[in-house]
Amino acid sequence: MILNLPTAAATAPPTLFCLHFLGGSAREWAPTAGRLGADVVCVPIDLPGFGDAADVTGYDVAAMADHVAAKVRAARPGRWLIAGHSMGAKVALALARRAEDGEAGLGGLSGLVLLAGSPPSPEPMEEERRAAMIAWIGADAGTRQSEAEAFVASNVGAPLPADRAEAAIADVLRAEPAAWRAWLAGGSREDWCERVGVLRTPALILAGGEDGDLGPEAQTALMAPHFGSARLVTLDGAGHLLPIERPDAVADLIRGHVVAPHTEEPEAPKIDAAYRDLIASERVNGRLRAALHERAAPDDPAYRPQALDAVELAILRAVVARVLPQAAGIDLAARIDARLAGGAGDGWRFSALPPDASAYRAALRSLDAAAQAGGHRFVALDGAAQDDLLEAIEAKTLSRGPVGGFDPEQLAFWFEDLRSDVVRTWLAHPAALAWIGYSGIGAGGDGSRPVGFKKVGLGEREGWEPVAQGGDAR
Amino acid sequence: MNLDSMRRYSTDEIVDAVVIGTGAGGAPLMARLAAAGSRVVALEAGPNFDPQAFAFDETLADEIYWTDERLSGGSTPEAFGGNNSGTGVGGSTLHWGAFCPRADQRDLMIRTETGEGTDWPVNYDELLPFYERVEAFIGVSGPQSYLWDASRRYPLAPVPRNASAQIMAEACAGMGIRATDAPAAVVSRDFPQAGGAVRSACINCGYCHQGCRNGAKTSMDVTYLPLAVAHGAEIRPEARAHGFERDREGRITAVIYRQGGVDHKQRCAQVFLCAGSVETARLLLHTGLANGSGQVGRNYMGHVATQVWGTFDAETRPNKGYPSSLITEDMIRPKGADFAGGYLVQSLGVAPLTFANSVARGRKLWGKALGDYLANYNHVAGIGINGETLPCDANRLTLSDEADALGMGKAAIDFGYGPNETRLNAHATKLMVDLWTQAGARDIWVLDRVAHTIGTCRMGHDGDHAVVDAFGKSFEVPNLWVCDGSTFPSSLAANPALTIMALSLRSAEKVLSGA
Repeated sequence: MILNLPTAAATAPPTLFCLHFLGGSAREWAPTAGRLGADVVCVPIDLPGFGDAADVTGYDVAAMADHVAAKVRAARPGRWLIAGHSMGAKVALALARRAEDGEAGLGGLSGLVLLAGSPPSPEPMEEERRAAMIAWIGADAGTRQSEAEAFVASNVGAPLPADRAEAAIADVLRAEPAAWRAWLAGGSREDWCERVGVLRTPALILAGGEDGDLGPEAQTALMAPHFGSARLVTLDGAGHLLPIERPDAVADLIRGHVVAPHTEEPEAPKIDAAYRDLIASERVNGRLRAALHERAAPDDPAYRPQALDAVELAILRAVVARVLPQAAGIDLAARIDARLAGGAGDGWRFSALPPDASAYRAALRSLDAAAQAGGHRFVALDGAAQDDLLEAIEAKTLSRGPVGGFDPEQLAFWFEDLRSDVVRTWLAHPAALAWIGYSGIGAGGDGSRPVGFKKVGLGEREGWEPVAQGGDAR
Repeated sequence: MNLDSMRRYSTDEIVDAVVIGTGAGGAPLMARLAAAGSRVVALEAGPNFDPQAFAFDETLADEIYWTDERLSGGSTPEAFGGNNSGTGVGGSTLHWGAFCPRADQRDLMIRTETGEGTDWPVNYDELLPFYERVEAFIGVSGPQSYLWDASRRYPLAPVPRNASAQIMAEACAGMGIRATDAPAAVVSRDFPQAGGAVRSACINCGYCHQGCRNGAKTSMDVTYLPLAVAHGAEIRPEARAHGFERDREGRITAVIYRQGGVDHKQRCAQVFLCAGSVETARLLLHTGLANGSGQVGRNYMGHVATQVWGTFDAETRPNKGYPSSLITEDMIRPKGADFAGGYLVQSLGVAPLTFANSVARGRKLWGKALGDYLANYNHVAGIGINGETLPCDANRLTLSDEADALGMGKAAIDFGYGPNETRLNAHATKLMVDLWTQAGARDIWVLDRVAHTIGTCRMGHDGDHAVVDAFGKSFEVPNLWVCDGSTFPSSLAANPALTIMALSLRSAEKVLSGA
């Protein structure tokens, strides 16, 4: 991860652009900005249809991101970060993707803060609640007042001080109803999962312990998968309106993130020294040595999936961790995704299954749906509960998934394919070959007469042959 | 293989023969026809490899497997790709195990003997001279006197027995079962290859299934194909046949193939379709040729190829040595069997990814148990069978609605065991578990598995019930021959490649006799 470290000329504090929630406005950030003081220059922005921008149009996610991009360009920041609260988080991620893709005028992005963020995937929300919110925003003044009060009250973990509650209610009431409806009916349902992919910019994810649909579990399952480096912090007792409810904690966490963002460094699995020597020796041919080195290269923590989307890759990583627990930390799921995307199959598939990449997507979504039917998303379950679901797949007792999901028979076929993909991917890695003490790589170098093996009988070992390392350090 | 100085033919020239596929079916007849002066052009769908680049690695070996997707259905869906389907100049012989028993003569007459299955239109005595020619030419290593055939001796001394062979030999002795060094198409000493270069002796690397780096293993690109090229045959790699032109009499006048993204037509007098049981039937179904009998695609067979694995205290290092260096044919007709036909038994070495794949799919291990078990890799040994599969109408290859890049429907193969295979499998499984128990193995487990691709264009006596005659000649298209495992009426207990090569030479002789 290359950060935009301050140069001699740029010791100025970084700029933090702040985006508000549905019904909020720039002013929800005032308490946080005040606490950050001179450390960070906060630039709260009213999104189209809200706050002082109530008369600005362009309510879909892309249009809101355009609106913010114009503000960023105008500010010409050196080093900048962006914080998005709820709805604002989705806009922030759409913009971060553009910044990471090198769009002119958006250079210098060095951090993301997502507070109770609406994820790139369609936001989970009860349809009844969605319909009710769409209805009352256009009702008579009395209904609007009482519903706005109820809306704010239902989104906090504990009652707000009167002044903050009044400001929040006032913001809801001054929102342009068309913008409000557009988010509920459109923006919140837009699927940006594949477009956002996995971002390299370090992210701080904040969740309210008492938040509903966008609480810690949703942040784990739907938000965290979009980052190579992310730190997730749950604010116990807080609801959905984090900057209003907990400005002290939010400011402290942002300050820490600005000063020392959490970054995942690519780390190569350790390969036993003797095995490394064997790979380097004349017993190993050049083509194999090059392939082993390539496989030994560290996985990119910000690997952007190509066959799956980021949320599915996160589920796959969780499944793979149960199928083959390994300390080496090889990102088998990412390697499987790369192979799926490359289209290089193994020459056959069960006729009950669609092509491999589609099968993976359908199976992972089915598995997650089954987990949710039991109350939690798959990635949020503990290992034993995850194993229960995988055992149910084997036993063909997992109920049929959502529309387009797999039936129990298909899930069982897929799980067999998955087990195969996992072990073959793992055992191609030199760390795994070293762990089992595999001597076959040393069958011969590049000369016209490869050495092969002289001792092939039971209990016969040539002096150079590696031995299994044993233990659980695989 | 080196094709730099081979003769080349114009696509407008009416060559004597176009051969589709350069594996065990296509290569021997190419060499024979070319030696007799015929102008031969081979179309090979896969690339031309340099064996020196085969790198002792299972993942890198994916390049020699036919990985165009096939759909596997039925009650025992069969794996394709690396399990049984190759690509490249040399076809599936690039990855075959080189285990090459002859057919047992009773297997060719199984219906007469048992009332089950189908008799072959060829008997053992007719095949024998061709078996001997092939074994001598490719250099088969094996016993100097064969326990189950007093008249047979192999041209080369056996390859060394590896750990699983030693274990199996002792276990068989303990149970009164005869076993001996396996016939292996791997040269146990430096071998001057007629028509080609000297092939170096086997180095016991164990990578037969990943492509032989030094030419010790028989593959067509180090045996029959160099001979064919020396006699003026042309091999066009990465040339995928997908259609035919015919005249009013129904004779094929040209083969249409895609090479470098462009369609070409090679004019020809005769066509030899040798693409293997799946691709041969697929091409005929796609073009609608030679299927008046309705038999194309029917009676698809894979061998019952169950394996039993166990863990031993001593190191077995199953990657080392020729993998299947011991055989018993005592079970070709087991006493008191409740099934028709029989099976042969072989010892098994295995490379790690193949083993791990078997464990993950077949033993269904996952979680900590999976890693813990794979840690024993250097202590496992296996034993396996190759068992008779009878033809069955429900086992069939059809074309899927899903098309490949050439617009050909993907092959959809339904395969399942019938009662005979199920009973044979139960018998064999018990025997193998008993042997491994006798050998002192612990943690014994059974891997149910199907191997090889057989049937789909059966040979027979008449065009109402078969696709080709006893020499592989189409009953319908006067200048079309089929020569590969697709013509087998039943599977035989023996592994198919040696018999395919023998039938290939037999077809060539028939052509040259002016049939």
